Amino acid sequence: MRLFLTIVWFVLFPVLGCSQPLRVAVAANAQFVLKVLKTDFQKKTGIDLEIISGSSGKLTAQIKNGAPYDLFLSADMAMPQNLYQAGFGLSKPKSYALGSLIVCSSANLDLKNWPKLVNQAEITKIALANPKLAPYGQAAEAVLRQYKLWETLQAKLVFGESIAQVNTYLTTGAVKLGFTTEALIYESQNKKLKWVRVDRKLYPPIQQGVILLKHAQKENYAKAQQFYRYLFSAEAQQLFRQYGYLTP
Amino acid sequence: MDLAPIWLSLKLAFVTTAILLVIGLPIAYWLAGRSSVPKLITEAIITMPLVLPPSVLGFYLLLAFSPQNALGKWLQDTFAVQFVFSFKGLILASVIYSLPFMISPVKSAFNHLPRSMAEAAYTMGKSRWQTFLYILLPNIKSSLITAAVLTFAHTLGEFGVVLMIGGNIPGLTKVASIAIYDAVESLDYASANYYSLFLFSLTFVIVVAVFVLNQKSAKSPLE
Repeated sequence: MRLFLTIVWFVLFPVLGCSQPLRVAVAANAQFVLKVLKTDFQKKTGIDLEIISGSSGKLTAQIKNGAPYDLFLSADMAMPQNLYQAGFGLSKPKSYALGSLIVCSSANLDLKNWPKLVNQAEITKIALANPKLAPYGQAAEAVLRQYKLWETLQAKLVFGESIAQVNTYLTTGAVKLGFTTEALIYESQNKKLKWVRVDRKLYPPIQQGVILLKHAQKENYAKAQQFYRYLFSAEAQQLFRQYGYLTP
Repeated sequence: MDLAPIWLSLKLAFVTTAILLVIGLPIAYWLAGRSSVPKLITEAIITMPLVLPPSVLGFYLLLAFSPQNALGKWLQDTFAVQFVFSFKGLILASVIYSLPFMISPVKSAFNHLPRSMAEAAYTMGKSRWQTFLYILLPNIKSSLITAAVLTFAHTLGEFGVVLMIGGNIPGLTKVASIAIYDAVESLDYASANYYSLFLFSLTFVIVVAVFVLNQKSAKSPLE
């Protein structure tokens, strides 16, 4: 018994005693560019950050339930706005980048005329992010509705929990066609994917917003502010553009 | 390669097994005696995580311990303890989640012991506690080890509950099973493979160990 308690104590102790690193919750679409930003930011300031990625909806729910994140980079403005109004934010949400929706394929398809292509029997499944959880899913839905394809394609649609799941379906070849973020293409291992940009006029702009969270006040306030400022620096904005985003 | 998720998984499984050995033994012993309505209900509740979807358990734990709700807020304000998105929360969830894996085999082993064994000890003047510690426990040793090993393995593979109440925080709640999910979502299949291979190998070793252990007592492998 005493031995067990001793062991339990020694195993638990390091967990209780450690200090918290700067934690950045980030919408799945921006995880690739964030990895690059993280390296650059660390080189410049010596501050290490932890990236937690997921759908914006899931991360918002986690923050509301007490998740210890210092900053939140959402894929839209609505969810950080919602957090701000609910009292979880220190700053009003601010747009850091504008997302770009693409049609992407793992097969050797000519995507130029994709609205015709999707009706073919060869395309059995089309992946998009869940419109309820992810702004890229909402954008994809808006586009399909514009083309009057939303109803007719229902049986073919596969909803990923986040854009990351759509990316997984695409890169593993589980689906031949999907709607995803342009950032996927610039990840080094994905050069083989075929893709075409969706006309920006067909969907509402994907304004991606960042919010400084109340949790940062606990330990990492200065560091969090530093990263917040860095996001809007010329270097960071340039990196966003390299990953297919427009910058405000 | 980041070893932290593997250490975290092992740590979680280890702590959970230790806690369950301490609280599981007396519960199993109590359940093993003559059956009654309270025992039946207790056993049903304890066995439920075996068939209950982990997301159900995770959802209710999230509701109960979220700082937005009464219990979670009270714990936070009074003891500065937060169970959601913390390692403590994972331990709590794992203890509930793995309870049947500890209790069922041990209870069944207690039931298989001949009553005369304990009675003989009593006639020789041993107390209930002494009998339990020196006579009964040594006689169910192999079942006890099986139960501990199964509890360990089951906790190691936990995913749904962790994702619901733990999130995916490196070094804190990102256990190996979550790291696989995260690596796949980040399109990092090499890391996913690395963590998967680790869990795959360890599970194999554990299952073989349980089979070997139980060969001696000649009961069904999972008893």
